[in-house]
Order: sequence, then C-alpha cells, then structure tokens
Amino acid sequence: MQRYLLSRLIQSVVLMIGVLVLVFFIVRLTGDPARLMMPRDASPENIQAFREAMGFDAPLHVQFFNYMRGALTGDFGRSLHYRAPAMSLVVERIPATLELALAALFFALVVSIPLGIIGGTRPGSIWDTLCRGIGLIGQTVPNFWLALMLIVFFSVELRWFPTFGRDGLRSLVLPAIALGFFPLGKFTRLVRASVLEIRNEDYIRTAYSKGLLEQHILTRHIFRNVAITLVSIVGVQFGYMLGGSIYIESIFAWPGIGRMVNEAVQARDFPLVQAIAVFTAGFVVLLNLLTDIAYAVIDPRIRYEN
Amino acid sequence: MEKKKIIGLGLVFLVMVGTGTALAGGGREAPAAPVSTLRVAVPTFPNSLDASIAAERNAQNVAWQMFDSLVWANDQNIVEPALAERWDISDDGTVYTFHLRRGVTFHNGEPFNADAVVYSWERGTQPHIEWSDRWGRAKSVEAVDEYTVRITTEEPDPLLLGVMAQHWNIIPPRYTQEVGDDGFGQAPVGTGPFEFVEWVREGRIVMRANPNYWREGLPRVDQVIFRPIPESSTRMAAIQTGEVDIVNRLTVEQAEALEGVPGVNVVTYPIDRVFYIAFNNLTTGVDQPTEDARVRRAMNYAVDRQAIIDSLFGGRAQLATGLMTESNLGYDHSIDPYPYDPARARRLLADAGYPDGFEIGFAAPAGAYTNFEQVAEAIQGYLADVGIRTSLDIMESGRYWDLEAEKALPPLFGDSWSERSGESLPRLLGALGGWDASFSAWSDPTIDDYLARIGVTVDQDERAQLYRELHQFMYDDPPFIYLYVPETFEATRDNVVDYMPRAAEDYFLMFTYIR
Repeated sequence: MQRYLLSRLIQSVVLMIGVLVLVFFIVRLTGDPARLMMPRDASPENIQAFREAMGFDAPLHVQFFNYMRGALTGDFGRSLHYRAPAMSLVVERIPATLELALAALFFALVVSIPLGIIGGTRPGSIWDTLCRGIGLIGQTVPNFWLALMLIVFFSVELRWFPTFGRDGLRSLVLPAIALGFFPLGKFTRLVRASVLEIRNEDYIRTAYSKGLLEQHILTRHIFRNVAITLVSIVGVQFGYMLGGSIYIESIFAWPGIGRMVNEAVQARDFPLVQAIAVFTAGFVVLLNLLTDIAYAVIDPRIRYEN
Repeated sequence: MEKKKIIGLGLVFLVMVGTGTALAGGGREAPAAPVSTLRVAVPTFPNSLDASIAAERNAQNVAWQMFDSLVWANDQNIVEPALAERWDISDDGTVYTFHLRRGVTFHNGEPFNADAVVYSWERGTQPHIEWSDRWGRAKSVEAVDEYTVRITTEEPDPLLLGVMAQHWNIIPPRYTQEVGDDGFGQAPVGTGPFEFVEWVREGRIVMRANPNYWREGLPRVDQVIFRPIPESSTRMAAIQTGEVDIVNRLTVEQAEALEGVPGVNVVTYPIDRVFYIAFNNLTTGVDQPTEDARVRRAMNYAVDRQAIIDSLFGGRAQLATGLMTESNLGYDHSIDPYPYDPARARRLLADAGYPDGFEIGFAAPAGAYTNFEQVAEAIQGYLADVGIRTSLDIMESGRYWDLEAEKALPPLFGDSWSERSGESLPRLLGALGGWDASFSAWSDPTIDDYLARIGVTVDQDERAQLYRELHQFMYDDPPFIYLYVPETFEATRDNVVDYMPRAAEDYFLMFTYIR
C-alpha cells in the first residue's frame, strides 16, 4: 500500500512539473500581450515602454527561469488585467467553482444511481427505457444549450429561479442541473451497464443458487462492485466539471474560475492564465491521486498487485 | 474493515457536499430594492474601479459614475465646466488656466483643490497607468494658488479638453497614497455623483448617491448596483424578469425579440465605430494593384454593402462614407456612400490596366466582431464577381492583431475602429499614421498634412472645415473599402427615465431615475 501510494505521488509531482513547463510555453505562443493591453492608438514607443515595464522584453529563458522560481514558491506573478496577485485571484474564486461542481455532482449521483440500478436490474422494462433515454440525452445535449433552455423556462416563464448570479441556494439550482446533466447521463449508463454485467457473474449465480435474498445480493454483491467502477469515473468527471464549467459559469454569471478563464485568455493575461492552468491541472492531478487511493481502499486486488 | 472504509469515504463526500451547501448558504441575498435603486447589467467584469486603470468601455462606465474631471462633455459633445468653473486659454493655445470650483469635497471629506489636480496628473502620467498617454497630453500641471491650475501643452492641442473630460478622473491625494493604486482600484474615492459602497468580486458593485454632490439635484436615484453578466442571452432574460433595469450589448435578434415584451423598452443607436477593409501601401501591399486609387475605388463600387447590412444585421447599420461617423466633428453629410455598381467597378479596373482582375491576399479576424467572418466572405464573393480573386484567411483575433501591428497582414485586411472623444482624429491617426502608428498600414502625405493641421488647429470651425476636406479626399482616394457603422442594442425596464447612452457607448447615470 505504501509503495503504491509513493509511486502515485512521485508520478503526480513529475506530471505537475510537466504541466508548469507546458503552460509557460503554450501561453507564449498566443502572441504579444503588450499590444493588446495598450490603447489601439498608442505609439510603438509607448508599447515598447510597457513591454519593458512588464518584463516581456527579457529573453525567453530568463522569463522561464523567473516563472519556475516563482511557481515553486506559489508566486505566479501579478495579473496584468486585474492588477493583483494571480494566484490569489484564482483562490478567491475556488469556493464558487467548487460549490457549483459539488452541487452538480450531487445532482448527477442522486439521480443516476437509483436510475441505473433500476434499469440494470430490470432490463427491457419501461424503467430501463427511461434510464437509457436519460443516459443518451444527458450525454448528447450540449450543456450551454440546456443552460439557456433552463433559464428561458424556469426563470423567464415560471420565475422560479434567478437567471444569473450567485445569491444563495436558489441561484445554485439551474447551474447545477445544467452542469450535472452530462455526468448524470454518463453515470446512469455506467451504473446500468455494470449492474447488468455483474448480474451475469458466476458469484452472483452462486449467491442466487445458495438461496440468498434478492435484497441481500443487491446490497452485498452488486452495489459494492458498482461502487468500484463509479468511484474511478466520478473522480475524473469531477475534474472535467471544473474545466467544463467555463460555459456554464459564463451563462449564469457564476463568479468562479471557469468564467475567469475566458477573461484571462481574452485579455492575454499571461500570469493569470498560467495560474489558472496550473491550479486546474493540480486539482485534477490531486483528484486522480485521491481516486487511486479510494480505488485501492475499496478494491484490495489493486493494492496487492502493486 | 472494508465496510468502515466505504462508510468513511461516503462521509468524506457528504462533508464535501455539506461544505458546498454551506458556502452556498453563505452567499449574499440581494438587498430588498428600494424604489430608487438602479440595477445595471454590464457584460464584462471591471478590472479596476479606478477610471485611469479601468481597461475597457464597460469598466470605464462603472468607474466614471464616481468621478469628475475638470470639464465635462455634454451629449452634443460640447465641453462644459465641471470641477473647473471656467478657464482661459493663452493666445498661442498652449497654456490653459483653470479656475476651480470651491467648496467641493471628495467622498471621504478630503477637500478638492489645485493640489488634488496636480497629484492626479502626476499619478496619471506614470507608465503603469492604463491611460497614461491621455494624461500625458499635458506637458505640465501646476498649482498657481489653491483654486487655480495652470496646464501647459507642448503644442496647441485641440483635443485636450475632450480628452480631459473623458480620461482625467480627479482623485484625492491623501487617500490614494494611503491605500496605494491597487487599493484605490478596489475602493475608489472621487467627487462624482455616486460614492463607492462595496464590490463583491464579480457579483455586484454597489454605489450610493453622493449627498453633497456639487451638481444641484443630482443624482436622481439613491443607489446604483452594477451586475456583471457576460452572456447576452442571460442579459436578455434578466431584463425580461426585471432582475436588472438596464442591459446593453444585445444582438439584433435579441433586440427584435424584446420588441413588444411588456415592461421592456428597446434602445438602439449608431455607435462611433467604423468597419472597413484596409489597404496596405507600406509592406505587403507595395507594388500591388491596390496602390492605384482607381482599383481601390473600383473595390468600393464592387461590394453591395447594403445587401450585407440587410442580410447580416437585419438592416440595422449605416453605410460608412469614410472613416468618420455622423457624430464626429466635421462629418460631411453631402457625401453619399459608394453605390453598388459592379459595371463601374469593372470599367475602373480596366482603366487601371486590370480588365481581367487580379489575385490578392485578404484576411479577417475571427470571433472579434459580430458576423464579421460572414461579412468578409460576402466581400470575397463580391470582389470575385468583378474578377478580383482573394485568398481569404480568417484567423484567431489575438494573432491577427499581432500581425496587424507588425504590418504583416495581407494587403487587404478587415477591422474596425471605435472612438470616444467625439472627433475622428485619434482614429484617423491610428489607422492612417503610417509607420508611426501601431495599427496603420497606410501612409499618404496629403492625409499626413491634413492630420498635422487638424492636430494643432484649436478653432473648432476651422478644424471642422479641415475634416470636411479630408473626408472628401479620402472618399476620392480611399485607403479603405468603407463598410458600415453598426448600431448597438440595449434595453431598459419601461420605468427607467433619462437613460441616455452616447455614441461611444458611455453613459452618466446621474440623470437617470425610476418612475
């Protein structure tokens, strides 16, 4: 177990260093921030002065060295657009993004687990058709379209929820549904498929032939094995949801990280883009690490094989 | 053992969800709105509430509700007294003496006086200030006595007063030094009609009426709340539900859909922005057929711009006759837009020695302007009809503007230019200033001469006359295919009175009230 964890940890660190390097160079492929940030009728001299003031005229390797040195101490420089430390701007927005992602995940799990189990245990039934239908719709409907439809129907027509903003629990409902709908579809299909598959395993047949109660077989033998599959996918999906919330956060004017990505990229705010990219990548790496640990905890085969 | 771990994991998850919910519960509820609260949706998130650092139009609009300058430009773009009651200009036009309004205080109680003006200018000209070049139009700003300021310029500068009105926000020295530039941008203090209350990051910016405002009887509402809503569909929904009172930057389709919706008024007006296809005679366009004025005129005749406006903008844009708009000083209304006349275009091309047309490179930015990619594609089709074969390159706007600034775009390139000073001089200098301008690919000695003269002619009528002559010259020898002046679409609740946005999409909410 310890060796397993250690190797996962080392992999994560190497991955993060790779992310740091990649982010630095990719951001610089997008062009010159000095021109974009200065007024359009600014003279070339003024733009050059700004470039020097911001350190963009330094050779790339010098910029890279400064960046890596800062990154290792958690300093990602100052946002050019917002004129504040980049990482603290990101940190400010974590609660909103996390809240939305967790609410969406909660919504997706609460609906998909029962639905998938019902579908999987009664294949061919009307419930199964519903389950497969929702699974398909969830995975095919674009979330930004769904978000707009939710607003039109539940905000403009029915006036049940606010159209935008982060003002308490009521304002969380529509964005969470919009963001949670894709994982909902994915989880439902996954749970249904695993239930179907596990039901055909030898040990389930054995359990039935032993005369165990249906109830008992479901809880003791099927659910636990479904959980293994689910845990691995939930972790990954949660990471995606942080990134995928760019649209949803913009549509609902939700003050999270996703919405800031858009602004930072448009403003060519190098330090901020870097901070967001490194933070998001770090979060996904951390989630994967946690998933791996959870996996090992739930499924003994994993930790013993390693 | 196994079971415990699963339960443990479940608990961890529940705690995470619980934390999320608790955070949600901790979000602020909207305050019960008194009748005189104006809620304004803005499409971007201000980077700063300091008007000298606020980077773009929407941020500036938010910031400027809290500030005054020495002078103010009214709706007709005529400069009026503000923090200065009057001013004298020396005979050579380079020394301005401003007599300041007495008894004005900043929101924090600091007195407004000549020192505040000098301090504001000294800070404004520092290189880290976004609009430092606007402050830098003055060579020196000195306090003569407590209520007199002398401002000197290098040369006569006809735009100085206008630029001051738009960019010189006067700030309190003591407070600014205390909190620093960053702190000031988070919680600014000015002399303006509204004072800062709070800024919930990316959620809301709240201001209340300045009870001691020097303009008697203003502002007319007790409170203004700005709400950033980046997505225009959401802004449209929010004005329908009445969650906000004013929204801007809607699409033409959204504006049309809002027509007739009870409780909503649609507001539309042409903005001070010109769209064009530029020619290049500095780098990539050298030795190209487009160096010949007849070819450039032919290309203006070849494109059916009215059809483009009708099909892509629902007819809601005006044909451009030059790089000036109707709201600009010296706009010549007698100049009609180039008509769509492909036969004439072909004749002109034949006269210029290209009866079979020619091939040329053409580029346009993607995602930068509404439907502009389609506009470029339509132009490509029209040009092909008269034999001009273009290879259209639509590229990511960031890279596009880099190349534009390096003067490395193809000889035909599309763009637009907005202006807020009410005069077209900055736009003309920017787009036609040749090597001296960052985004210009054109140089013409006649134009240079006009621009130089306009730049030092303080007399308004004389300047207008020069603009008119230049307008005609640029019509006959066009450095651009002139496209259109777009309209912008906004909406208010129908109980909002005296919301008066201007051609630069700026507005002053001190006059606005709720019926």
